[in-house]
Amino acid sequence: MIAIFVLLLAGGAVIWWLFTLKYEDTADVKADHTVNAMDFIKEFKQDMAAANKKYSEKIIVVNGTVSKIEMADTTANIKMIDTTNGAYIIFAFQQQHLDEAKQMKEGDKVSIKGSCSNGAFSSILETEYITFKRCAVNK
Amino acid sequence: MKKTILSLALVLAAGLLFAQKKTTTSAIINFDATTSLDKLPKADNKTVIASLDTKTGKIAFEATVKSFTFSNPKIQEHFNTAGWMDSEKFPTAIFAGTITNVKDVKFNKDGVYNVTVKGDLTIHGVTKPIETTGTVTVSGGSIKTTSNFSIKLEDYAVSGGAIGAGKVSKEPTITVTAEF
Repeated sequence: MIAIFVLLLAGGAVIWWLFTLKYEDTADVKADHTVNAMDFIKEFKQDMAAANKKYSEKIIVVNGTVSKIEMADTTANIKMIDTTNGAYIIFAFQQQHLDEAKQMKEGDKVSIKGSCSNGAFSSILETEYITFKRCAVNK
Repeated sequence: MKKTILSLALVLAAGLLFAQKKTTTSAIINFDATTSLDKLPKADNKTVIASLDTKTGKIAFEATVKSFTFSNPKIQEHFNTAGWMDSEKFPTAIFAGTITNVKDVKFNKDGVYNVTVKGDLTIHGVTKPIETTGTVTVSGGSIKTTSNFSIKLEDYAVSGGAIGAGKVSKEPTITVTAEF
């Protein structure tokens, strides 16, 4: 009887823990890779499948130059663009780091850490693109 | 002289043609599959590619499935698994359609215009026609499009125990916002 009660309690605790899980602040997470933005784009252009296998859902630090800042009501996305072909990396920042993105300017040399979602070819833009989520300035 | 004028005219025409197609790489899609039992299955994707042709009304979206960001890591993981969106196999959700009453929208005059959009939505490798309403807001040279609609997950071959258990809505709401 007590054993069943303990098991139920333990099960409840696990469910509660899973339910309340949250992502860590990306600024505090160790990176799996550190890359240069243009080399990173080149890697995806050369072999998209291999690059996705290597980088998808990993924490990556990308060093590069801010090409564009795209802001809306609740977003501030930073883009690094390969101007020779239009391919780009786009970084969506974590809520607590939005101000860091908003303070950046085109031409700034920056280091951004985030979770790489995926690289793909856009039929709309006719170029490759790589998206990042939960980003923060790498310090 | 005639050749110069013709060349200039062609360049001007190309420029005008190019200007009517607008794109953004920061459109936002909100996916809300919350229920009374679970408020967690809700995510935003803030790096959606969108295009709008102001002359023809053609409108399109491309959303990387892995870029839908949930607050809970376990739900994020489940969303992308083979049993759900299977993002390894179907990495992108796509909409291609048309604003059917685009002639009612005056893109050079500030205002809020109600529109109807028809097109094909592809999720999880399944393409279905959808029709929905939305608004186009023209303000100070910018164009903002917004639409809100529901889909049936079973229509896109997405199923799972959590849906049956009432923890994930069978008909999540999708809100799309793009600023050009």
